[in-house]
Amino acid sequence: MQEAAEYQSVFVGAAREKLDDIMSRYPTKRAALLPALWIVQEERDWIPEGAMIEIAELLDITAAQVKGVATFYTMYHKHPVGENFIQVCTTSPCNVCGAENVVKALLKETGCGELGATSPDGKFTITEVECLGACGFATPIMVNDDFLDSVTMETVPEVVARYRDGKATG
Amino acid sequence: MNRATIDGKTITAPEGHTILDAATESGIEIPTLCWYPGLSVVGNCRICLVSVDGAEKLIPACAAPIEDGMKIETRSPAAVDNRRSVLSLLLERYPTTNLDAGAEPANIFESYLADYGVKPTTANQRELPLRSGDERPDDPMIRHDMSTCILCTRCVRACEETQVVGVLDTAERGGVTQIIVGTDGDPDKASCTWCGECVRVCPTNAIFEFLPRERFGEELKATDKVARSVCPFCGVGCQIDLHAKDDTIVRVTSPAPTEITPNDGSTCVKGRFGYDFTSHEDRLNKPLIRKGWEKENDRWEWRGGTDSLRRTGPWQTIEGEGATMKPAAPPRRQGKRLKDLPLLERTAEVSANRVATPIDWYEPFREATWEEAFELTAQELTRIHEDDGPDGLAVFASAKCTNEENYLLQRLFRARFGTNNIDHCTRMCHATSVSAMSDTLATAAASGSMREVEHASDVIFIAGANTAETHPVFGAALKRAHERGAKLVVADPRKVELAARADVHLQMTPGTDVALFNGMLNHVFAMQLEDTDFITKRVKNIDAIRQSVEPYTPERASAITGIPAELIREAAEIYAGGPNTSTLWAMGLTQHLRGHDMVISLLNLILCCGMIGRWGAAMMPVRGQNNVQGASDMGAIPFVYPDYQPVADPANREKFSRAWGVDPETMSLTPGMKVTEIAKKGSPVRALYIMGENPIISDPDIARAEEWFSKVDFLAVQDLFLTETARYADVVLPGAAFSEKSGTYVNTERRIQVTEKAVNPPGEALADWEIVTEISKRCGLESPFESPDEIMEEINSLAPSWTGVSYERLKGAGLQYPVPAMDHPGTSFLFPETFPTDDGLANLHPVEYAPPDELPDDEFPYVMSTGRQLYHWHTGTMTRRSAGLDQREPTPTIEINPEDAAELGVKDGDLVKVTSKRNSIVISTRTSFRVAPKQVFVPFHFREAAANLLTNPVLESHAKMPELKITAVRIEPV
Repeated sequence: MQEAAEYQSVFVGAAREKLDDIMSRYPTKRAALLPALWIVQEERDWIPEGAMIEIAELLDITAAQVKGVATFYTMYHKHPVGENFIQVCTTSPCNVCGAENVVKALLKETGCGELGATSPDGKFTITEVECLGACGFATPIMVNDDFLDSVTMETVPEVVARYRDGKATG
Repeated sequence: MNRATIDGKTITAPEGHTILDAATESGIEIPTLCWYPGLSVVGNCRICLVSVDGAEKLIPACAAPIEDGMKIETRSPAAVDNRRSVLSLLLERYPTTNLDAGAEPANIFESYLADYGVKPTTANQRELPLRSGDERPDDPMIRHDMSTCILCTRCVRACEETQVVGVLDTAERGGVTQIIVGTDGDPDKASCTWCGECVRVCPTNAIFEFLPRERFGEELKATDKVARSVCPFCGVGCQIDLHAKDDTIVRVTSPAPTEITPNDGSTCVKGRFGYDFTSHEDRLNKPLIRKGWEKENDRWEWRGGTDSLRRTGPWQTIEGEGATMKPAAPPRRQGKRLKDLPLLERTAEVSANRVATPIDWYEPFREATWEEAFELTAQELTRIHEDDGPDGLAVFASAKCTNEENYLLQRLFRARFGTNNIDHCTRMCHATSVSAMSDTLATAAASGSMREVEHASDVIFIAGANTAETHPVFGAALKRAHERGAKLVVADPRKVELAARADVHLQMTPGTDVALFNGMLNHVFAMQLEDTDFITKRVKNIDAIRQSVEPYTPERASAITGIPAELIREAAEIYAGGPNTSTLWAMGLTQHLRGHDMVISLLNLILCCGMIGRWGAAMMPVRGQNNVQGASDMGAIPFVYPDYQPVADPANREKFSRAWGVDPETMSLTPGMKVTEIAKKGSPVRALYIMGENPIISDPDIARAEEWFSKVDFLAVQDLFLTETARYADVVLPGAAFSEKSGTYVNTERRIQVTEKAVNPPGEALADWEIVTEISKRCGLESPFESPDEIMEEINSLAPSWTGVSYERLKGAGLQYPVPAMDHPGTSFLFPETFPTDDGLANLHPVEYAPPDELPDDEFPYVMSTGRQLYHWHTGTMTRRSAGLDQREPTPTIEINPEDAAELGVKDGDLVKVTSKRNSIVISTRTSFRVAPKQVFVPFHFREAAANLLTNPVLESHAKMPELKITAVRIEPV
């Protein structure tokens, strides 16, 4: 991955205030590590290595410790992702109901090509996830923080179109 | 005490001991992989599981405390079965090439495989890939081969807990769990100090020393000898093990942490990786004599050029080299904020022989025999002694040589030549501490031990010492102390590592220390925090002190030092509050025109707060070189015989002259000249003998020093290399490195340690004690020594504090002097009851703040201080010939605040010209927030941009210490 030559701090202004507020709730600074990583992901859509070092300095822990934690959780993105991050449930019940075709259709329609890759226009990244807790409404997907149920390969083009021009909700 | 049985053997173990502790103590071995002495217990490898009667499951021996009545079986069928399955699971992802070949086990993990008969499944059945992780590519010292990693995490814990750095951690937990280096694999960005603690603890050589493996490969497996030695660098005196093969040191390891050593088995980067200078191609292996010396009718005569040209050569002077262009320095994280770090950028410099002795330096010399070299040296010393009397001679002893060698050298010049013109580099180091401590306490060494500072001090006050870089192993101990909860207060103009982690950092204007300490003491008195009991019983002249610090209110101190008054108050309260405060200082206090006063005012603070004379309250001038304490102890200073017995006292003269077999009348009662007075225009010295020192790089105002050296009548230099100083010599005598001789050294806590010879000196080079013994004999002084321990016998008959010292007793941890008798265990801390003054009381001396000699002005607006870097050592003779170290810092740099750099329009790596009233140098820029605006730092290791060309030769009045820490300079882009 390539970053801009000059690193821009994440924790300035409101983001810094937010982190300070979170840190004030815990007896130790390091306890704020998970929320700090969330703030970075909100601000930057992913967690660059420079931000891990920044967090380490702010929380008085080592950069390696931050990376150790960040890499443990799959929901923190260690690579840049598309504007819209799509998670598709491919657990057994959904698979039976055609989740695999939904994945194929999404990969094709968005232009991502493969799971985890970002579409050439930078709009989409798709991953498979375990159970989104909606087995009765297969196949559920999450686009960013939006929950969409009963997606089929036929409805995929419409979903993709809706998100392509900005982060629509619902 | 708990009683239990282990494998049928009844044992007792104190409360809190684990099964593993108890077993180890009674000689029963339980295999361990993730456990390592001194590291936190994680219990993740499960190989130490043992059977305990009545327990349903196997119990981890490393984590389970032993209980009364336990019946433990360490090799029960269940335990052995478990071990086999642990090993075979780990083996699933371990390369089997070596094992298949049936070779000797390469590491502890492979020995367990052999012990437990665990064989690899054939390679093509392997389903899991080998492990991977960050590999440190291009690293000159430490590399990783993570295919052999078993994820024991010892390296992670050693880095975090022992060295308190935290470069490593475990990441990508799951199927591809791996050890990472920082966030992006760049150790420099992750603050790595290259100490090699990770190399030490790794049980599978997944983390290994690169250069030994590269250079010696298979030979590492079959070394001929392992010799216990003492690291040749700083005053911590780390014990190290030298592994030799075919008369070459092939690697260095450190003792087990379970052994008692001053370093608890750790080393820093220099100790573990900085030994290869001993086999550098530049080593002198034959004596050299300057062309022009010829022998006629049994006398050596100078037939060379006229006097003024006599001692020049085809080389550039240090001044000339200072003006040359230099390569850009590599970027470093040191003292930088995040946004200043280059991202995803790695540097790999090659430093092949950059500083090797230039070939033309040898040109004025011819190779000689020892017979010729000894003859000429003895003849000229004797001749000049006859012509000019005792004061025509002087000698520089060496803080790098052993006690025995320093003892012999001062013995020769005092007994045979009747001069006390004997000194060494302590003059540039702790001379002002010695003068101040002598005036106040009649002592010249640290009162306490490093161990007590680490474990028993509640507050650690560090003044003018960059311990994390200059004494890294002790620095790590201080960080561990801070982690356990000790408070850290650091007074330093630079935001060095310990200052950055300190609870209070007093960042003062350079040279204002007296005002700071007086200000702190003022507040101590104001708050009535002084130790009145201690003051009443142990000190005198307290009223004068109260009076003298009265005007130094925190506000006034603040105005002088630039430190906010609040911080001065806070620091004073923490310091006096203790309850046990240790006080450390180094060159930041001593190398000043007012260095003596600075130390005096610090001693006043120590004594008024009663922070001396008990365990946990240590007074520690941190000594720079591995034997600077010992060289002073041996009398290699102008005013005392060994063990600080004044030369001015006729009784002492009587005693030493009798022991040395000379007429007392021929020995001098007058204290001699000091280093800084000897090599100076107008000095009466015409012949100088130097053992292992390089004043042309270390003296202030080098250009003038170099000129003096080129004009002296006779110069003999005993060294490992043809140094900047040796190139002006008439005779160069090739000595032996630390690994090539045995002898004793004294570390910063008065610990005398003995070293074992590992290899022979190269070619015809001789151990330095052999050289000095032979010259002594040829000059007519009886010197019947056949080995260093015989010299020690003479030393301990004359030095009361050393009476109980013998080579036999020094084995192991060594002894902390005073050791007044053969059955005395040594002294870990001094002055519990009285001080060694005449009346047993400490003499307080009031001191006033006075500004340094050279203040910045419009023409020279920056204050330059000089000092050491982590990767280099003093004049660079050793470390710049050590491949790994030199690759880390290949070129001279000036540390400059980014604000100033922006103002000058320079960035990292750009060359600048630095000019003082005396001279100028061209040097590469390194921006860093460690230095305050309008202050700069230049290390003095580099010949090609010698910091001491610029420094001020003004001398402190008591100790004749130059003001190396403060020079006003101007900086211009080149």
